[in-house]
Amino acid sequence: MFVKKPINILVAEDDDDDKLLIIKAFQKTLPKENVTCVEDGEALLQYLKRSAPFDDLNNYPVPDIILLDLNMPRKDGRTALAEIKSHEDFKKIPVIIFTTSNLKDDIETTYKMGSNSYITKPGTFEGLVKVAKEIENYWSNTVMLPL
Amino acid sequence: MRNKFPNSGNSQLFESTNLSMNRIKLYSIISLFLIIVGSGISYWTSERIGFYTSALMETQDILQRTSELYASILERETNIRGFVISGEEEFLTNYRQSLIDAQMLLDKLKDLTIDNPKQHQNLEVLEDLIKQRVTAFEETISYYHENGSLEGFLNSGRVDNALSGYRTIKQAVTTINDEENRLFVERNRSLLNNINALPFIVGLISLFSISVGFVTLFSIFHYNKVQKIASRRIKNYQEQLQEQLYLLDDSNKELEQFAYVASHDLQEPLRKITAFSDLLVEQYSDTLKGEGALYLNRITVAANRMRRLITDLLEYSRAGRITNEEEKEIDLQNVLEIVLDDLEIAIVEKKAKVEVGTFPKVIGKETEFRQVFQNLISNALKFSDPKKIPEIKINCDEAPNEEIKSIVQLDPELSYYKITVEDNGIGFDEGYSEKIFAIFQRLHGKEAFEGTGIGLSISKKIIEKSNGTIQAKSEPGVGSIFTIYLPVIPS
Repeated sequence: MFVKKPINILVAEDDDDDKLLIIKAFQKTLPKENVTCVEDGEALLQYLKRSAPFDDLNNYPVPDIILLDLNMPRKDGRTALAEIKSHEDFKKIPVIIFTTSNLKDDIETTYKMGSNSYITKPGTFEGLVKVAKEIENYWSNTVMLPL
Repeated sequence: MRNKFPNSGNSQLFESTNLSMNRIKLYSIISLFLIIVGSGISYWTSERIGFYTSALMETQDILQRTSELYASILERETNIRGFVISGEEEFLTNYRQSLIDAQMLLDKLKDLTIDNPKQHQNLEVLEDLIKQRVTAFEETISYYHENGSLEGFLNSGRVDNALSGYRTIKQAVTTINDEENRLFVERNRSLLNNINALPFIVGLISLFSISVGFVTLFSIFHYNKVQKIASRRIKNYQEQLQEQLYLLDDSNKELEQFAYVASHDLQEPLRKITAFSDLLVEQYSDTLKGEGALYLNRITVAANRMRRLITDLLEYSRAGRITNEEEKEIDLQNVLEIVLDDLEIAIVEKKAKVEVGTFPKVIGKETEFRQVFQNLISNALKFSDPKKIPEIKINCDEAPNEEIKSIVQLDPELSYYKITVEDNGIGFDEGYSEKIFAIFQRLHGKEAFEGTGIGLSISKKIIEKSNGTIQAKSEPGVGSIFTIYLPVIPS
């Protein structure tokens, strides 16, 4: 029987604590090396464009989905989203907005800009684990991803 | 804050304006009165002048005719004399003509002197005298015609009579002339008096009117000056008021922004406290010794409660905020149905009876009204008396006028809907009826009833933003009534 290859998730998150918690939560369902983190939107775009230091494909796998925080220094999530969704190659990668904001405005504009999901960060670790499992399950089992 | 609206200066200013206005009115009335009186006197004086002028002319006429009459009397005398001496009939014809002339003149004079009894009488005396003289003449003429001469007719007695007769006539004419001359002088004097008085009277009145006019003009200038100052001050106050309103609006917005940012940013570290303590429990609960696990649990519980408080604070700061949702006509009946649908589980669980009256359509935001009803009805369910079947009555009526007037928050000029949510729950002490609307105010322990105490504060904020007000009445063990007064917006 065909064993499915686990999905690669790229997380753009500036907060170290959140980064740690997200990695911990996804480790419940995914191998450690399948979750990669970048500092901000600028780094995210550099990663996708494979400019140094992201030219090493072993350490920096091609992401199947992107988890994008909205409020980040240098280049924030909104700008990064706009750039990704206007790029010929990158726009096929599903982007999940993962943020503390639950403002109607943020939800509406990011969907309009082409984001694929919008998730508000859960308050508890338990909640976070649940969300991680759902994301993993949905994007690797429920839907078909572009090749 | 500095008092920007000093009152005393204003009222003085307005009093002064009123005083000036009254003075202007008074001067205008005096001025008008003087002009009317002046015109009256002038008219009367010119009437007098007209009267005296025509009277004078009449006097002259009488004098003229009197002298003509005298001339005709003389002519008659001359003609009679001529006839007696010569016996020529032509003298007699002239005599007759002069008689007719004299009679006509007499009649005319009597007409002219009808308003002067004394002169009229003088004329009658003259007429009598003339008649007597004519009778004497006629006797003389008849005698002459019978005898061909006056031989034996003329004696000293007749001559004396004739002489005295002529003299008395002359005398009477002189009397009439004198009287008329006297009148002429008198009337002339009156005429001159009036003519002289006229410019004096007109001048005096004009002088008065002009003076009053100047005073009025001065008062008007003064009034305008005061008025200008007053309107400038009012404009200043309006600007100051506008400025303060802007400041107030700004500070309100800042406050909301502050509450929003504060609660949003406060949530971040809190979320991490919770998450990491969860992680700690999950990975190390086995190795925690003594009361370590209990402490960790306490941290989690406290953090959760704080998160709830912050969430509620956030919600409160957002309540009534300008959002994208537009105000539109909403059917409160519909809104209530939706809310009761949402609360279905709790209603069934509590076996509560809910009665809903007839509700109108109002202008507002649907989510806000949903929030208000949700808060009030869920409160009624939450604070129900476990010994009774919960009964909740939700009604709407037009608020009576006396009630609107008795509530300071309401505008007595407007009409309001009175929405009541009544329950038979545990109630609360009437002394807390204001306090329960304060943010995070709770009347019961956290253990007895969950919640942070934000629901009523949010409802109050929403209703007040809609220019309404909310009140609570209660009796412990009997129940509570929450009353909302909402302006009826005229369609």
